[in-house]
Amino acid sequence: MEFKDYYQVLGVTKTATAEEIKKAYRKLARKFHPDVSKEPEAEQRMQEVNEAKAVLSDPEKRLAYDQLAQQYRSGQDFQPPPDWDAGFEFSGRGFEEADLGEFSDFFANLFGQGGRAGRGGQAGRGGRGYQMRGEDRHAKINIDLADAFHGAARAITLQVPQLDAQGRVFSREHTLSVQIPKGVKEGQHIRLLGQGSPGVGGGPAGDLYLEIHFTPDSRYRVEGRDVYQTVPVTPWEAALGASIETPTPSGAVKLKVPAGSQTGRRLRLKGRGIPGPESGDLYVELEVVLPPADTDKARELYKTMAHELAFDPRQRRGG
Amino acid sequence: MEQQRIIRGELIDEATLTLEDLARACSVEIDWVIERIESGLLADGSPYVASWRFTSHDLTRARRLCQLERDFEAAPELAALATDLIEENQRLRDRLRAAGMA
Repeated sequence: MEFKDYYQVLGVTKTATAEEIKKAYRKLARKFHPDVSKEPEAEQRMQEVNEAKAVLSDPEKRLAYDQLAQQYRSGQDFQPPPDWDAGFEFSGRGFEEADLGEFSDFFANLFGQGGRAGRGGQAGRGGRGYQMRGEDRHAKINIDLADAFHGAARAITLQVPQLDAQGRVFSREHTLSVQIPKGVKEGQHIRLLGQGSPGVGGGPAGDLYLEIHFTPDSRYRVEGRDVYQTVPVTPWEAALGASIETPTPSGAVKLKVPAGSQTGRRLRLKGRGIPGPESGDLYVELEVVLPPADTDKARELYKTMAHELAFDPRQRRGG
Repeated sequence: MEQQRIIRGELIDEATLTLEDLARACSVEIDWVIERIESGLLADGSPYVASWRFTSHDLTRARRLCQLERDFEAAPELAALATDLIEENQRLRDRLRAAGMA
């Protein structure tokens, strides 16, 4: 475990006032907020920033942290010395158990209830006879669009905070095999009962909410339950009409291309979008692709068309 | 080696979550949710509010409101305004993507 310099994370000096810390936090929170940030690893940076603010904006924690920080540099290998927080009183405000799941091992070891209660600190929620349901947890997962059409079993790996024999928090990788139900939409949640944080004092575990996102697929675009795809066709298929076979997320289909089609013509296959109580539609957009004029024969055919067809697309546009 | 069994979850569709479920999933008190519903900041216009049932969209919105209020010490109305804009932005991006323009 590495020592974290929370002052460095927020970009403030060790003498920063509470107001300066708040200001620095808000600036970074705006920069790395997952909803708006385009910064790489914004979510992870936001977690670090939240963690630094949680410690430095609490006078009790900041005082204890400052004392510890005198002996360490950022990134240095670190184990909290026994009774590092002896002599400090923590009111317990400001940290929820949900935070411990989201924050780093470094934070959890210093300020997690296991880190202190196990060493005779204020046991708080961990006291004898105290029972509490574990916190709900949240994770985002990416699935293929095809999984929403057919359903699938997917393995997901999560970091779960746990206590060791000494009462210290460590994170353990927990791999779950999850059945992705058919008909799931982008942004929808799957609730896994009892797969959240463990309960306290024998209380039940919380639930795990998985937020579904589709892995980008250059062949398909999705809006709600409707799916859009572009299908290339030859000029003669577009001009004369044709019956073509094309792959779709639910399998290959025979598609009737109406005569006189142009690039951009959209054909709706009703009910062939993501299945559900009201299944979405599949929109196929035609793209007319010209054969290359890379042989004598091909060039001859183009020349014949140029002579035989009275066709000027710019005239039709009035250009 | 942990034994792998396939876990079947519950799809949070229309009218799935109770008031207690929603509050717990956001790590907030039930009153926090009630206040925001009564102020029209959450689940506004949802046909399920009368029966105190909530959707996946309500969960996402409630978590976003909660995070904005906490991170910026924002007033609930301001957090809701930012959330409205974020949601509108996402809707437009989705439409652009569906049109093959993003």
